[in-house]
Amino acid sequence: MVVISLSYLEIRQLCFSYNSKRMVLKNIDLGVKKGEWIAILGHNGSGKSTLAKTIVGLLRPQSGSVTIDGIELTDATAYEVRKKVGIVFQNPDNQFVGVTVRDDIAFGMENLQVPRAEMEEKIQFYAKKVDMLPFLDKEPSALSGGQKQRIAIAGILAMKTELLLFDEATSMLDPSSRRELMSYIKELHREGLTIIMITHDIEEALWADRMIVLKDGAVFADDTAENLFRKPEAFREAYLELPTALQIYYELEQTGDMTPPLAETLWALGSGR
Amino acid sequence: MGIRFRSVSFSYPGFGKGFYEALRNITLNIATTGEFIALVGQTGSGKSTLAQHMNALVFPTSGSVEIFGKTITPKRDKKIKYNDLRRKVGLVFQFPEYQLFEETVEKDIMFGPLNFKIPEEKAREMAKTALQLVGLGPQYLTRNPLNLSGGEKKRVSIAGILAMNPDMLVLDEPTSGLDPYGKKAMMDLFRSIRERTDKTIIVITHDMDLVYEYMDRVLVLDNGALVFDGEPDRLFRQTDLENLHLDHPATIKVLRTVSEQLGIALDVYQKDVVGAVRELRKAVRP
Amino acid sequence: MKNIVIGQYLPGTGFFYRLDPRTKIIAVIFLMVAVFLLDTILQVSIAFVAAIVFMILGNISVRRVANGLKPLFVLLIFTFVFQIFFNRAGTLLWQDDLVFSLASISAVVAWTILWRLATRFRRFRGILFILWVAGVYLALAYLPYGPAFAPVSFEIYQKGVEMSVFVVIRLMIVIALSTILTLTTKPTDLTQGLESLMRPLKKIGINSDDFALIISISLRYIPTILDEANKIMLAQASRGADFNEGKLLAKVKQIISLLIPMFIIAFKRSEDLADAMESRNFVPGKPRTRIHELAYGGADLITAVFTVVVFAGAIILKVLP
Repeated sequence: MVVISLSYLEIRQLCFSYNSKRMVLKNIDLGVKKGEWIAILGHNGSGKSTLAKTIVGLLRPQSGSVTIDGIELTDATAYEVRKKVGIVFQNPDNQFVGVTVRDDIAFGMENLQVPRAEMEEKIQFYAKKVDMLPFLDKEPSALSGGQKQRIAIAGILAMKTELLLFDEATSMLDPSSRRELMSYIKELHREGLTIIMITHDIEEALWADRMIVLKDGAVFADDTAENLFRKPEAFREAYLELPTALQIYYELEQTGDMTPPLAETLWALGSGR
Repeated sequence: MGIRFRSVSFSYPGFGKGFYEALRNITLNIATTGEFIALVGQTGSGKSTLAQHMNALVFPTSGSVEIFGKTITPKRDKKIKYNDLRRKVGLVFQFPEYQLFEETVEKDIMFGPLNFKIPEEKAREMAKTALQLVGLGPQYLTRNPLNLSGGEKKRVSIAGILAMNPDMLVLDEPTSGLDPYGKKAMMDLFRSIRERTDKTIIVITHDMDLVYEYMDRVLVLDNGALVFDGEPDRLFRQTDLENLHLDHPATIKVLRTVSEQLGIALDVYQKDVVGAVRELRKAVRP
Repeated sequence: MKNIVIGQYLPGTGFFYRLDPRTKIIAVIFLMVAVFLLDTILQVSIAFVAAIVFMILGNISVRRVANGLKPLFVLLIFTFVFQIFFNRAGTLLWQDDLVFSLASISAVVAWTILWRLATRFRRFRGILFILWVAGVYLALAYLPYGPAFAPVSFEIYQKGVEMSVFVVIRLMIVIALSTILTLTTKPTDLTQGLESLMRPLKKIGINSDDFALIISISLRYIPTILDEANKIMLAQASRGADFNEGKLLAKVKQIISLLIPMFIIAFKRSEDLADAMESRNFVPGKPRTRIHELAYGGADLITAVFTVVVFAGAIILKVLP
């Protein structure tokens, strides 16, 4: 079924539950345009990872639909749709399939029955893109978490993926690896890839064009960072913390000691401009 | 007493024929009581290895570690009961999954005390107390630890070590993976332990905000060497933190940017949001 | 950092490294059968020398292969001794009366204690063992003093010696063949070779396509699992688990405290891995291309011809009177 829509990813009235007792996702409506960068924020247990898995078809919703590039995601179309979406998971070790870096980047292409010569070319190209070319014959035990995540990205890009999902992909990395991975993601976004980042780190979320806040399985807010930050109580209600600069901002506002230049500087700092 | 490191080095066989030096010539003293220490450094700088020396899980390759009067050297000493030292210095690992295994939370927390030959009834009591200390109610006692959320598992694993009533506590990244409220709850837990018992607590962490706000002393490891040992404030006044692969706390970064952009003089070294706000109010009022 | 050489694979160059794993697998099987068809010490010795010559030609360190025999040293000794004792055909070569007397038993005990003390020097274990055996023999043979049991006759027959030499050499060739295989073939190539050879099994319903993938994923996780096991042991040791001492019941508990976390982590891992594989379009049973392709070359042809000749030769030798 082809759905006419301006969005590249369209989620309509999605409902999901693991057992019939508790609804993990409640009537989720979400649209992502091609080339956008979306951050999905939420407290632990808000349904973020579950949502990610339904987008790539690892979980089938009880009701509602997921449509990617005009194709509705069903059991029959999953194979086709998965060619367009790739997901990088949280644990760098548990998604590394290959015996060596080369084998891992090849894995997705092997599944798509890409001819060998083409695979070799792509491996060289995408390994270079994530600066892992010298590591092609290395085993995963010789790599750091950040390096493994980069290889996961290379493997997905090699499948000509257009939409990249990151499910808390930086939470198991140390701060400098995190920053490094973010710089690769920013580069990919500049090149036109659509990015969805699931995170609970507000600093990472600031890079997104738009933030979607999940609370208890439902969409609590869907707006730009600037607009969301204008409602600090809402943030607190969703069990999220504002960036430090904005915490200071709101405290100062309360005590009445704010001046316009100060406000401007703090606001710019906090909202990531 | 306490823990003293004397020129401790530790290396193990690495790739090929070489040896990998995880720790280089570490000398440092840790008092039994009163200290709240942060152990920081890049991944691979040797933090976990250093922690594992503190309860004699690992022996130094050269130098010695004195733990509560017992000296640990590279050679195994038959007279020392190394297991006792593990009771005195409680080490909590980063991932609760490495530790939780019993059918109920109660049994799992009791594992430690029982291993140290504490009678069952006493161990049960200690488990209940430890659970309370970490902020979980008695209804958790009968639950399966594997069905708990990430934050709850972390707290149960800490309770498992607290139940052994150690004299000193070492925790490897207790706040990683927790949301901001979880982090706050964890730091409050440490505060309450220190208020009640004044035991020394050592925390391995990457979170500079927590270090600045809560700790009295910070140890910085870089490539196995101890490059800083002192107050967090002194550390953050150094401008070359990038060489140590460390970040400044958010409050300092914000105040610094404000000071530069608005051209106003500020004491940027504020430990928390409250301090930062206070400083800005002072600067704004003539 | 892990420095584990999985299997015995050692990177290198040479004839054997150029062979397709399938050729090597089939050749090794047929050559082993051929060796078992040989009858005389002469034939087996020629095969042995030929094996050594080929190893040298193929740039394989004979010492490494000899090291591969070390774990089976005991088996070889056992076989040797077994044949000597129980094969009573041919001419009698040696006879001695062994007496278990007060003197000889005390001497054996003293000698054994000396031997156990000397085994601290791990290097000389093999030689020390031989010395021990010799000492025991000499004591029993030449110290029949004091109260004693009736003498036991120790005999060595010609056929016994022949057979032991024969069997040992044959065993060494067989072990050498398999060592050459694992030494020169990457575990992943080996499994891919096996997978390819197993394709005919599809006709009787066994799907071998994912076999290589399953094995390679298992191999890839070995260093990870070992690392985790170590961390879990340390974490439990921090709670007083002592994996060394303790009564049986306590030991069981310690082992459970190690195994359960390992299993749980393994389950979580397989769930995560399945998700990752599925999201990358993996469909079990669906044909996939391979980044590593197996291809036969000239070396394989030579090896095939050689194997056929040797196998045929062995059969002919066996059949001819």
